[in-house]
Amino acid sequence: MTQLQEPVQQDAVPAPETTAGRGRRYWFLKAFATAGPLPFLLLLLVVGVTLVNPVFLSSSNLSSVATQSVYLLLVSLAQMLILVTGGFDLSVGANVALTSVTSALVMQSVYGGVDEYSGIALIWGLVVALLVGLVVGLVNGIGVAVLKVNAFIVTLASMGIFTGVTMLVSGGSEVSGLPRVFTHEVGSGRVFGVVPVPLLMILPVIFLLYVLLRRMKYGKSLFAIGSNELAARVAGTRVGTNLVMAYVLGGVVTAYAGWLLTARVSSGQPQLGAELAMQSITAAIIGGASLLGGRGSVGGTVLGVLFIVGLTNGMNLMRMDSNQQNIALGLALVLSVLVSRARDRARREVAVMELDQGATPPAAGPVGSLPEQRNPLAPPS
Amino acid sequence: MTATVPTVSLQEISKRFGPTLALDAVSLDLLPGEVHVLLGENGAGKSTLVKTLLGTYHPDSGQILIRGREVAHHNPGVARDEGINVVLQDFSLAPTLSVLDNLFLGRQPLRRRLIDTAAMREAAERTRELVGGTFSLNAEVGALPRSEQQLVEIMKAVMGKPGALILDEPTAALSEKEAERLFGIVDRLVHQGWAILYITHRMAEIRRLGTRVTVMRDGRRTGTHLVSAVTDDELVREMIGRDITAVYPHKADPRHLGPTVLRLTDVSSANGKVRDVSLHVRSGEIVGIAGLVGAGKGDVARVLSGLEHTTSGEVEVLEYRTSRPQIRKMLAAGVGFMPEDRKRESLALQLTTADNINLEASSSKAHGRFGFLHRGQLREAAISMIRRLDVRPADPQQEVGLLSGGNQQKVVLGRALTRPRKVFVVAEPTAGVDVGSRQQIYEELRRLCDDGVGVLVVSSDLEEIVGLSDRVYVMHSGAVCAELVGDEISDEAVIAAAFGHGADEPTARVQEAV
Ligand SMILES: Nc1ncnc2c1ncn2[C@@H]1O[C@H](COP(=O)(O)OP(=O)(O)OP(=O)(O)O)[C@@H](O)[C@H]1O
Ligand SMILES: [Mg+2]
Repeated sequence: MTQLQEPVQQDAVPAPETTAGRGRRYWFLKAFATAGPLPFLLLLLVVGVTLVNPVFLSSSNLSSVATQSVYLLLVSLAQMLILVTGGFDLSVGANVALTSVTSALVMQSVYGGVDEYSGIALIWGLVVALLVGLVVGLVNGIGVAVLKVNAFIVTLASMGIFTGVTMLVSGGSEVSGLPRVFTHEVGSGRVFGVVPVPLLMILPVIFLLYVLLRRMKYGKSLFAIGSNELAARVAGTRVGTNLVMAYVLGGVVTAYAGWLLTARVSSGQPQLGAELAMQSITAAIIGGASLLGGRGSVGGTVLGVLFIVGLTNGMNLMRMDSNQQNIALGLALVLSVLVSRARDRARREVAVMELDQGATPPAAGPVGSLPEQRNPLAPPS
Repeated sequence: MTATVPTVSLQEISKRFGPTLALDAVSLDLLPGEVHVLLGENGAGKSTLVKTLLGTYHPDSGQILIRGREVAHHNPGVARDEGINVVLQDFSLAPTLSVLDNLFLGRQPLRRRLIDTAAMREAAERTRELVGGTFSLNAEVGALPRSEQQLVEIMKAVMGKPGALILDEPTAALSEKEAERLFGIVDRLVHQGWAILYITHRMAEIRRLGTRVTVMRDGRRTGTHLVSAVTDDELVREMIGRDITAVYPHKADPRHLGPTVLRLTDVSSANGKVRDVSLHVRSGEIVGIAGLVGAGKGDVARVLSGLEHTTSGEVEVLEYRTSRPQIRKMLAAGVGFMPEDRKRESLALQLTTADNINLEASSSKAHGRFGFLHRGQLREAAISMIRRLDVRPADPQQEVGLLSGGNQQKVVLGRALTRPRKVFVVAEPTAGVDVGSRQQIYEELRRLCDDGVGVLVVSSDLEEIVGLSDRVYVMHSGAVCAELVGDEISDEAVIAAAFGHGADEPTARVQEAV
């Protein structure tokens, strides 16, 4: 029960300095731990594909890569948000299809072929889409946070339910007759002839999500919930409420993607977005999110989506068929999981190296005075 | 007691978990300016009491008063706003978040509604210095070693609103130096009028810190005393209901030791924490490895279990020789392990006590054929092990994650004992274990030795090293700097060696010692 006590002459013995200056290995590991492999891989991708086919870097191709990325990016950001909390969302595709069909129906009937009503139709379409997203998110959120059913089951079930609803609402057929502003401007317009309109329309969302996750209490609490729920609870977080809000937010962002995608394809389509669940999970994971929760970032997801879309585009340019492409994407996913494990190790090693670095242990014995009587965190009285 | 209003007052709190009455009408006052030590066997209900105070458990009956006012709907948010700061026995940090984010979780200072990182950093740097941490504030908590994580937990608690600080076995993962620093912080907080509740199994800490001590047994409070008015023996008797005459069993007779069963020759590890270590263990003896935290003693155990890679040297277990130990091969060669970090390295928390005890046995051939398990046999084995080690509750179907800390430790030991071994490598075997159970564990280890097993014990508990070992290696910055045998083993000798007394040339002493 007595532990080794420090003898008095201890001061005389200098603490062994284990490292002298930060070596190259440290900086390499630090860079890898902080930024991950994606920036490097993207560069490799760009250089590689360009060498084979220089068309890759042409402004028209880049602009089309950007357009293709927009929708997947929105959905992947929503997916990442849910992954951060330790869950995941299989219903994103169903959400997109339902918003596409319902918002198209609303826009079609408000518009009715009269150009003066295009603007109002557009707005109504967006409002309805976001409302649908809210409902989908609420259903998922309540299932996960209140009924405490596993996210896989909940979102699998809601995927089935909302796909059914989509079919009922649309009768299985496309909804056309949408305003021209919607299909031509929102869908495939360009500003200054190069910048796609949909890209501009998602920038605020990206920015808001970034601020939310990095700079707001709510974002931090989502990470804590996914990382260690007990820690979140002890910190006074209302875990259930926060989770429901996360699913709602994810649902709304996904619905926004559904609305934009409807503009892109010029009609409400009941089959829209079927592949989005798998693609968004893949992109978010490649972008550093973890199925175990507590990890994920907006920047990483953006890079992840660019990587996937860029890789697909590059493979198209290199005339690889879809089978080869699927194999390549599958390998990329497996590889990314392996790499993330290596990244964990790098993090640990860096943390320990930094410990040794800081080895100027403050003088032993009783500590100096607490900085001030009042605690720095206590609210100002 | 005087007229001071207790910072926190528990009145007749009861809490039941299924058949277990974890708290039975417990009352306790925490006065401003006192360190109130809570003492009790493993499973006595100490951590349950803490969680009730924190508001993660809701009592079945009884009241909680904070500064004299009754709290109606207690929860962690209320606790925090009222200045009840808790360091839980279990890990309660978010491993994928940075140190900084963990410290300010749920209470980030805001500027224009956004988190003010600069202010956070400034406050955190000051407190980090206070607790003596050297970690980077940007490091992910999960990437830090266990002892640093504990420092982060302590930082988090002392950064809260002033009021009460509750520490549930805070020194279990700390080195003596950091522990001493923690005591300094506690002293200072007490001076400022904080009320401290301190849970420990180390009697010495009661004397060092305590004002009053409350003893718990089987969920009941048996008494509260002024520390100055009670002896250790009285406390132990009250706590476990019997006297403990000798905590440590007899030592081995050096003339009857068997052949060498484990030998390390010039082993160095890839992480640089173990440098040219040579040592051996003979059949029938308990060999201790002592040293300060960071001296590499824990890393020796990790090297043997293959968790840390070797760069040079050789390990021999009986006939088996290797330069790169791997866990499966070492197990097959007859080595049993009891790792240091039970949560991370050894327990499957969702499984039952029986499943955990049998985790290794069920992968051996003895208990089944063609991959099918002999369930009845396994169950019997688990039940007898639970009885042998006095795991409480003695229910083989209990989920291990719900056991008290000390009982989890016994389950880890139980697993290691399920298979016949030639060598045992145990790290911190009694961390978080109460005095009574500690005696049982020591007896168990000694019995193994008497049956011809060789035991290697890595421990930061000096008394344990001195009381238990037949031979001691002392390590200093990665190298063995002294070997003590029989009567040479004393507190003073171990300390002197551990602090590198004359250790400018540690390697020179290795040759001398071996
Ligand atoms: N959530 C739970 N569900 C069921 N049983 C529980 C739960 N938490 C604690 N227990 C039981 O309540 C009893 C008291 O446990 P507690 O953790 O309070 O003990 P402790 O005094 O802290 O012991 P230790 O010194 O080993 O940490 C034990 O028998 C334990 O198994
Ligand atoms: Mg406990």
